[in-house]
Amino acid sequence: MSHSAPLVRIIVAQPRQRLGSPGPLGGTARVLEHLGREMDIAIVHDAETCLARAAGAPTDLVVLDAGLDAEGDEILEALRASGPPVVVVTDRPDDERIHAAFRNGAADCVAAGQDYARVLPIVALEQIRRWRETVERGQVEQRLRDLERLGDAIVEAIPAPIAVLSADGRVVSANPEFARAFSAPLEAIAGKRLEHLVPAELFESGVLRLLIASASRPGGGGGVDRGTVGRSRRFDVRVRRLGERSGILVVLWDVTERDQLAKRLADLTRYNENVIQNLNSALLVVDRNGAISSANQAAESIFAVEPGTLRGQLLWDWFPGTPPERLLVARTLADGVSHRGAETVITRRDGTLIPIGISCAPLTDAAGERIGAVAILQDLSEIKELQRAVLQNEKMASIGQLAAGVAHEINNPMGFIHANLCQMAEYLTDLRRMWEEVGRLQETIAGGALGEIRRQSVALTELARELDVEYLVSDFGKALRESQEGSERIRHIVQDLRSFSRHDPGERTLADINECLDSTASIAWTMMKHSVVLRKEYRDVPRVRCYPMQLKQVFMNLLVNAYQAIQERFGQSGEIGEIRLQTGERGGGVSVTVTDNGIGIRPEHVTRIFDPFFTTKEVGIGTGLGLSTSFSIVQRHGGTLKVESKPGEGSTFELFLPLAAGEEAATPAGGGGPGRPGLS
Amino acid sequence: MTAAESRATVLVVDDEVRILSAVQRSLRREGYEILTAETPAEALAILAERSVDLIVSDQKMPGMSGLEFLARAIVLQPGAARLLITGWTEEVPREEMEALGIRALLPKPWDDGQLKQAVREALGR
Repeated sequence: MSHSAPLVRIIVAQPRQRLGSPGPLGGTARVLEHLGREMDIAIVHDAETCLARAAGAPTDLVVLDAGLDAEGDEILEALRASGPPVVVVTDRPDDERIHAAFRNGAADCVAAGQDYARVLPIVALEQIRRWRETVERGQVEQRLRDLERLGDAIVEAIPAPIAVLSADGRVVSANPEFARAFSAPLEAIAGKRLEHLVPAELFESGVLRLLIASASRPGGGGGVDRGTVGRSRRFDVRVRRLGERSGILVVLWDVTERDQLAKRLADLTRYNENVIQNLNSALLVVDRNGAISSANQAAESIFAVEPGTLRGQLLWDWFPGTPPERLLVARTLADGVSHRGAETVITRRDGTLIPIGISCAPLTDAAGERIGAVAILQDLSEIKELQRAVLQNEKMASIGQLAAGVAHEINNPMGFIHANLCQMAEYLTDLRRMWEEVGRLQETIAGGALGEIRRQSVALTELARELDVEYLVSDFGKALRESQEGSERIRHIVQDLRSFSRHDPGERTLADINECLDSTASIAWTMMKHSVVLRKEYRDVPRVRCYPMQLKQVFMNLLVNAYQAIQERFGQSGEIGEIRLQTGERGGGVSVTVTDNGIGIRPEHVTRIFDPFFTTKEVGIGTGLGLSTSFSIVQRHGGTLKVESKPGEGSTFELFLPLAAGEEAATPAGGGGPGRPGLS
Repeated sequence: MTAAESRATVLVVDDEVRILSAVQRSLRREGYEILTAETPAEALAILAERSVDLIVSDQKMPGMSGLEFLARAIVLQPGAARLLITGWTEEVPREEMEALGIRALLPKPWDDGQLKQAVREALGR
């Protein structure tokens, strides 16, 4: 029921027989019909129906016909406490009845007379107005009470100390949190001054006093004033004037922890940022889609770009040579697994290529949800350069060992070629003399003097005998052939040397392992031919994608070691050692075995021979890097290098190269060594 | 001196048969009897059998160096002159050479005239 509702609901309660009966009461309902624009007038005949209706919907007025007698009394009784007003109408306006009606709670009484139709509407309207006023006031009061309760509940429930101060600064009320925070019993708070309740340090800065003073000023402090106070604990203070009479609301929010957390968060963020930015390794963080969300200085310098360039870019765009799905980072994004130590090459914006190593790990949020990946990139240029230098040095060292043998091999043919050339020059002088003699004879023959012809013919024959022309001509040919053969030998040696000392091209090529082994063996042979028998047992093997020069170096190392082992065993005894070279295909790869019958390897050395700088040779004989370098070369090819040895009887090195070499593993630079091969 | 008396015997030792052939060629006109051996062992066998006037030996040979060989040769034929051919003349110790009474070192590769001259001088001609 609202004030604006146009509907006026009236219940007319009168005896059934009253309807249609003569007299004013019979037309009661009709009289009321014009009270408002919309009328809902219900005529009931008993108390039960009347009360049910009054309870069912908001009712403005009950007009009760006194003729209902006892039923009427029941209605009056029931509506007396909180029901709508009851106006009693009667055609027997004796004092007693009217009196009883008022006594029973009737709002008014109208007697059926000549002016009934005029008076009843006036009385009804007045009663409806009053009733509606009462109802409305009750509703407003109820709403106020509700609001008050809500306010109290909120203040009580808020986990912040709240107090209401009077204008003179005394606490009027406070919430339980206030009592808890400042350890003051709730009932002892009222009437105390705020500065006697809260720690003194909150008033130290003067901010709190200033805020309260500002809010206390009449007409001032309409909004919320705030500040931060306290040293040991920090409070966010809010002060608000509640109204001229109601006082000042003070909220003291303890923000010590929040501030500490915020500071720790800021510190942590700065710390992380510092660590990341100053890492020597390049670090890239990518989101789930592969967009770079963070890149440190090292990353920017690897890609040679200005600071901030990488952020927001798709990672794949910076690896133009690699299909995105083959990128390690993409794999980590897809499978959520860490991948480490792959090598690849990146193209910088300026077109330069640099080798890098990548490790990648998935990145998850606090809930364990995968949100991206972290990639660490290492510029391998320097490492690669050092590796190359070590390889080259090692190779040069083995060439040094070979040099004496090779020089001897070259010097012998050079010796006889040189001598033969001198001799052949002499032969030519002799032949020229013969030819001159022949020329003279021809002239004489042309002259026709027979005696002279005969004389010169004899001279020619004598010269031929003197010069031993027959021998000379045949030996000239022999000297030529031998010299040619000698120069051919030199050519081969030089060719082998050149092929051994070359650098590998940057990428793997398909190579015939038998050819690699054999050309290396023929150089090594120059060194060992006087003391070793070389047995070659090559089988047909598939071509292997590899770095041929590096493999040749491995073969050379194995051959030199075998030779040195044989020398150590037999020394100058004149006994001949044996080196057996075997190749074959097995288990998806090619195996190369180098067996010698040299001094062998002591058991305590077997596990160390692949370590860098481990050597049992005299200073100057070995670098101690030969087998270690060989081992890392074989590793780079995804292969294995194993050794089996019997001290005093010989050693077997077995190298296995898989045909399908996987993605290259990064070679450990320095630390850790090449690992320990097992004895098979 | 008769031709027969003047015919000196020269033993050439080298593991490289082509070198033997080249030395023979160089000395052909010199009128010496030239014997050759491909190994020190073979040469020592010859020295045990025959008298020679000059031994020309290579230094680097399998099993035995030229110096070692010449040292043994002295025992068999102390009267024979000795010449050493080597590509590494600077590596041959002077004292050892002098102790063995080696007349000259011939470099390898050698000059034809140089060889003939050295041989003549070694034979005292």
